[in-house]
Amino acid sequence: MLQEKVEILWNKEVGGLYYRLGLKCDEGFADTKPGQFVMVRISDSYNPLLRRPFSIHRLIEENGNVRGFEILFKVVGKGTTILSGLREGGFVDVLGPLGRGFVIPENFQSTFIVAGGIGVAPLFFLASDLMRAGVDSSKIQMFIGGRSKEDLLCIDEIKAMGFPVHISTDDGSLGEKALVTEIVKNKLTNTRPDMIFACGPSPMMKAVAGIAEKENISCQVSLETMMACGMGACLGCAVEKKESSDKYLHTCLDGPVFDAAILKI
Amino acid sequence: MKKEKVDLKTDIGGIELKNPVMTASGTFGYGSEYDDTIDLNRLGAIVVKGLSLEASPGNPPPRVVETASGMLNAIGLENVGIKRFIKEKLPFLQTLQSPTIVNIYGKSVEDYIELASQIDDIEDISGIEVNISCPNVKAGGVAFGVEPIAAYNVVNGVREKTSKPVMVKLTPNVTDITEIAKSVEDAGADSVSLVNTLTGMAIDIDTRKPILANITGGLSGPAIKPVALRMVWQVAQKINIPVIGIGGIMTAEDALEFLIAGASAIQVGTANFVNPKSTIDILDGIINYLEEKNIPSIRDLIGCMEV
Ligand SMILES: Cc1cc2nc3c(=O)[nH]c(=O)nc-3n(C[C@H](O)[C@H](O)[C@H](O)COP(=O)(O)OP(=O)(O)OC[C@H]3O[C@@H](n4cnc5c(N)ncnc54)[C@H](O)[C@@H]3O)c2cc1C
Ligand SMILES: Cc1cc2nc3c(=O)[nH]c(=O)nc-3n(C[C@H](O)[C@H](O)[C@H](O)COP(=O)(O)O)c2cc1C
Ligand code: FES
Repeated sequence: MLQEKVEILWNKEVGGLYYRLGLKCDEGFADTKPGQFVMVRISDSYNPLLRRPFSIHRLIEENGNVRGFEILFKVVGKGTTILSGLREGGFVDVLGPLGRGFVIPENFQSTFIVAGGIGVAPLFFLASDLMRAGVDSSKIQMFIGGRSKEDLLCIDEIKAMGFPVHISTDDGSLGEKALVTEIVKNKLTNTRPDMIFACGPSPMMKAVAGIAEKENISCQVSLETMMACGMGACLGCAVEKKESSDKYLHTCLDGPVFDAAILKI
Repeated sequence: MKKEKVDLKTDIGGIELKNPVMTASGTFGYGSEYDDTIDLNRLGAIVVKGLSLEASPGNPPPRVVETASGMLNAIGLENVGIKRFIKEKLPFLQTLQSPTIVNIYGKSVEDYIELASQIDDIEDISGIEVNISCPNVKAGGVAFGVEPIAAYNVVNGVREKTSKPVMVKLTPNVTDITEIAKSVEDAGADSVSLVNTLTGMAIDIDTRKPILANITGGLSGPAIKPVALRMVWQVAQKINIPVIGIGGIMTAEDALEFLIAGASAIQVGTANFVNPKSTIDILDGIINYLEEKNIPSIRDLIGCMEV
């Protein structure tokens, strides 16, 4: 884990409320796993006071060396509004990489990758890692959903990876007019993956975990909770476990990616 | 590493610290969490997360929320319990040169006494910080720390069971904090640390529900500093044992204000979340200040405020 002021390489608007922020960091990120995150101190002022968590969206490489990483973020409040105004050449203080990422089982036969809205950020990294590891594209199907077509990100890049991509929006502005979880349910009637990877808003994570449980399929979900420290010191990021005497897990240490079967969500 | 030419040693009642910068309980885990980011051996002391007799799961989430220049927390004192602490967490702390201070809390006077006696034999624990901000289950859930007699009874009970230095952590949620401070001094405390968090709340106007599952939480961070500073100043004038200043200390300047107001040492809390290197930056800043002003010893500064 590293804490450093890092240079902003770019901060590009990618439509509507979404931005891609490239950060220069020559050290510390080479072994980053998809699903891990960073805590960003957005300004030196006390308002906002706390760092904000963001998934690592992709690594920036140059001649085979990791030179930094990118986050993909949505403007939702005070901190992300300030972040969207930061410019190339400026600096932000980054702590990371943090948490546990997705665990890729050995010799899996097929997987569903299920993204809702900004949840595509770490799943893009996961999908590209799988392709890079030489996984046959026939083993992967990806499901990407959002409210409207503006909320669907990285679609062209993901389609170019070569596996089937199922797109849906709540308003029907792109792909099927349905919840992403509905599309997943339909697909499960004729395909049975041995692993589901998912990231998206909490109700969606709950729905995906429910589907996986019912179908008896292993499932890893990436969760969001409020965080103060991101490193196990504040105990603010509790998530409830299924029946157990140790009642809580901590998103920043035990997650943000969890085996859905152990959670009460 | 900085050469420390100035004398930073400070006495906090039965323990001499190499410098006045400690960590605040509950904001620094059990120490090891910060091993990657700072040199733990430079700290004046490490105060660990509040411990109870049995492990405690803590409150349901959400447990934290940011507020203007501060944060509310309702962690609910989640901890591994004193036994697991001694077995699993203490060995790491024992490898450090910085002293370990164990923060304890209980639901009855007997809990506190039992905790103190379990700690008393352990050589590598340099002191006990008694958190009296918790509800007294036997007395209808009113916090020990808001009632001078209840506070006296806890501290007196702990005092009888331990020869280790006893620091009592005071809650600011009282009408007159000096009254509680005097009471715990009479009960045999070696020092007092203040303040714990100020009770507050936040509401989600869309759902019309409280943001924290616990409804209320403790406010910490820069927002509480002026209140904490005022209380430290008031208490330092009223008692004869050392005072440790806590509350919204983010920078060396903040820490220096507390020392000038009468604190013999300070604890850094919420700042550890914002900048994990805060403690070290604050320590270096204090050293620079003393050097620049030609002040040979930190002790020349403590309580030097002129009115
Ligand atoms: C592990 C993890 C990874 C994340 N990855 C990404 C990512 O890759 N891209 C992205 O855009 N966002 C991500 N988030 C969410 C992001 O942290 C929040 O959107 C951000 O903190 C909001 O900050 P703000 O100051 O703009 O909003 P605020 O003004 O603080 O709040 C605005 C709204 O955002 C919600 N919010 C605030 N903090 C959080 C939080 N920590 N988690 C969830 N909701 C929050 C609040 O409830 C509020 O409704 C991630 C969160 C976690 C925990
Ligand atoms: C997340 C969190 C957990 C805390 N846990 C404890 C605790 O277990 N015991 C205790 O005595 N104080 C606890 N505190 C209070 C702090 O030690 C400190 O008194 C308070 O936060 C004020 O200082 P600050 O403004 O520098 O954070 C906690 C504070 C926070 C923010
Ligand atoms: S965010 Fe502080 S412990 Fe997880």
